[in-house]
Amino acid sequence: MSITLDKITKSYGKQIIVNDVSLEIKTGELFVLLGASGSGKSTLLRLIAGLLPADNGRVSLDGRDVTDLPPQERNTGFVFQNYSLFRQMTTAQNIGFGLDIRKQPRALVDKRVNELLQLIGLDGLGDRMPWQLSGGQQQRVALARALAYQPSVLLLDEPFGALDVKIRAQLRQNLREIQKALNVTTILVTHDQDEAFELADRIGIIEGGKLLEVGTPNTLYRRPQTRFAATFLGAANLIPGQRNGTHVYLGKTSLVAPPQTDHLSGQPVELLIRPEEVELALKREDLQGQLVGRGIVQQVGFAGPFERVVVRLDDHNFEPIQVLLSPEKVRSLAIEINSPVWVGLRDYHLLPANCP
Amino acid sequence: MREITPRKPLHFFILGIALLYIAVLLLAPIVTIVQKALANGFQPVIASLSEPNVIHALQVTFVMTLGAVLLNTVFGIIIAWVLTRQRFRGRRFLNILVDIPFVFSPVIAGYSLIVLFGRDGWFTPTVFPIVFALPGILLAKTFVSLPFVTREVGPVLATLDTEPEAAAYTMGASQWLTFRRIILPNIWPGIMYGVVLTLARALGEFGAVAVVGGGIEGQTETATMFVFRALNDRNNVGAYSMSLLLGVTAIVVLIVMRLLRRSIVREQTAYVNHT
Repeated sequence: MSITLDKITKSYGKQIIVNDVSLEIKTGELFVLLGASGSGKSTLLRLIAGLLPADNGRVSLDGRDVTDLPPQERNTGFVFQNYSLFRQMTTAQNIGFGLDIRKQPRALVDKRVNELLQLIGLDGLGDRMPWQLSGGQQQRVALARALAYQPSVLLLDEPFGALDVKIRAQLRQNLREIQKALNVTTILVTHDQDEAFELADRIGIIEGGKLLEVGTPNTLYRRPQTRFAATFLGAANLIPGQRNGTHVYLGKTSLVAPPQTDHLSGQPVELLIRPEEVELALKREDLQGQLVGRGIVQQVGFAGPFERVVVRLDDHNFEPIQVLLSPEKVRSLAIEINSPVWVGLRDYHLLPANCP
Repeated sequence: MREITPRKPLHFFILGIALLYIAVLLLAPIVTIVQKALANGFQPVIASLSEPNVIHALQVTFVMTLGAVLLNTVFGIIIAWVLTRQRFRGRRFLNILVDIPFVFSPVIAGYSLIVLFGRDGWFTPTVFPIVFALPGILLAKTFVSLPFVTREVGPVLATLDTEPEAAAYTMGASQWLTFRRIILPNIWPGIMYGVVLTLARALGEFGAVAVVGGGIEGQTETATMFVFRALNDRNNVGAYSMSLLLGVTAIVVLIVMRLLRRSIVREQTAYVNHT
């Protein structure tokens, strides 16, 4: 294990910022800590780097207990949202700083700096001052600076938060390639679920200082264990029901219970349905998934590559169901407001009714 | 802000008031000093500034001012650091205390130094005298010029982004190394500006130095005290010459200050424009 957190807690006064967080991260893994602002994710990152002292718990990096060590002795690379370059130093001096203070010979530092400049695609810009670089370039320099001395872990605090969307996408790609090439264990903090999906080997969802759930992007999206994860990671329809025997009962409708939900048998549950897993059809026989019932289209709206359709189910007083359909599908079904449709489900998942 | 080119009589009237006020109170004294000092050319000025007493007074002034600048730079930075980076009981009180030299009459300051360090004072050393001796002059100059470095460095430190420091720590830099390589270059213009102000204040101090030092000719007499004595002795050439020298120094200081201020502003705008 490259990073092991054991019951880390941090409070300011009476406010608990990080609450009893335990986590293990494998060598070479890119782990994304995903949470809203104020969830404690940045604080947790600073606790790992030693920039803040933990009240309780242990931090191990590369099998070494660093809990009582200052940041200088933890050998982490840290990248801040606002780049935090040393503005009186050139790009090359910034990148070489970590090696310089390790008293590495000049030639070696220069060689390494040039390698890194090449790696981040800023070849030949070593003499530029930070203010002569664009935001995206500055952030790449910050990344190179944090990697120069081969830290045992790389910690990134909302590294793309201050950049515009296009550059952000490009830098994510760069980061992913560099991280895999160097096989450096990485924790990235973000509030952006797209970023988390695109980058993460695993995602940890943090809320109110608690690590609610950890898993691969796919598992967390399709099979979350908490209501918070389900709704934080994208649009979700949540419908109350009861799981009994082999089925889930939503009012008069029954659906086959999804696999691995036996432990919820006999309990009130919530059915989690992603909008893209809902099927609409004009005839009942055309549905391929599980039938839920008939409904009336309430809204049709443009949502970029998809159309967002809202359907109210007959015979139920559930919240209207959000559906994402391809424009082609909307055209072929001739869906418009007040169209009657049959509603089916391709995939769904169960959550215990009173989970966080 | 709306600026206008004066056109109406009222505009010219207001402009005239400002110019007259400055001319009478600031420009006229400078012109008089220059004119009187150089009435008979440079020769008498050089001659009077070459007298042993004058040279000694200049040496005392120069060395003691330098000492005060050095002390107040080091301790001023430490005080600024503590006031901006540490939270402790009594911080606000300390913050108020720092400004005392601004509001205290220098004569009172000098007197209190006599009480503290003079015969039977609380801190009177047994090895060497302070009052009516050079250490007293150093203390007096240091006292009156204490706030400047703190007051110039404090705001710069307070607005300084601390994340580059944190980055340096994670890279393995010690606190001292981080201060030297990361923080110091950023607060340097503030320090220099504070140093220049400290220099100007310590150089020109008269009251506190006169009280503590006693103005003993050839021993504790400083440049400003020499001017005072020369006037009393009707040694006009001496008084004007020394005044000219001090005046020129002050104006050089003023110019340096303007240049530094400009570089601080430029750096801050360059930084702000980019963030």
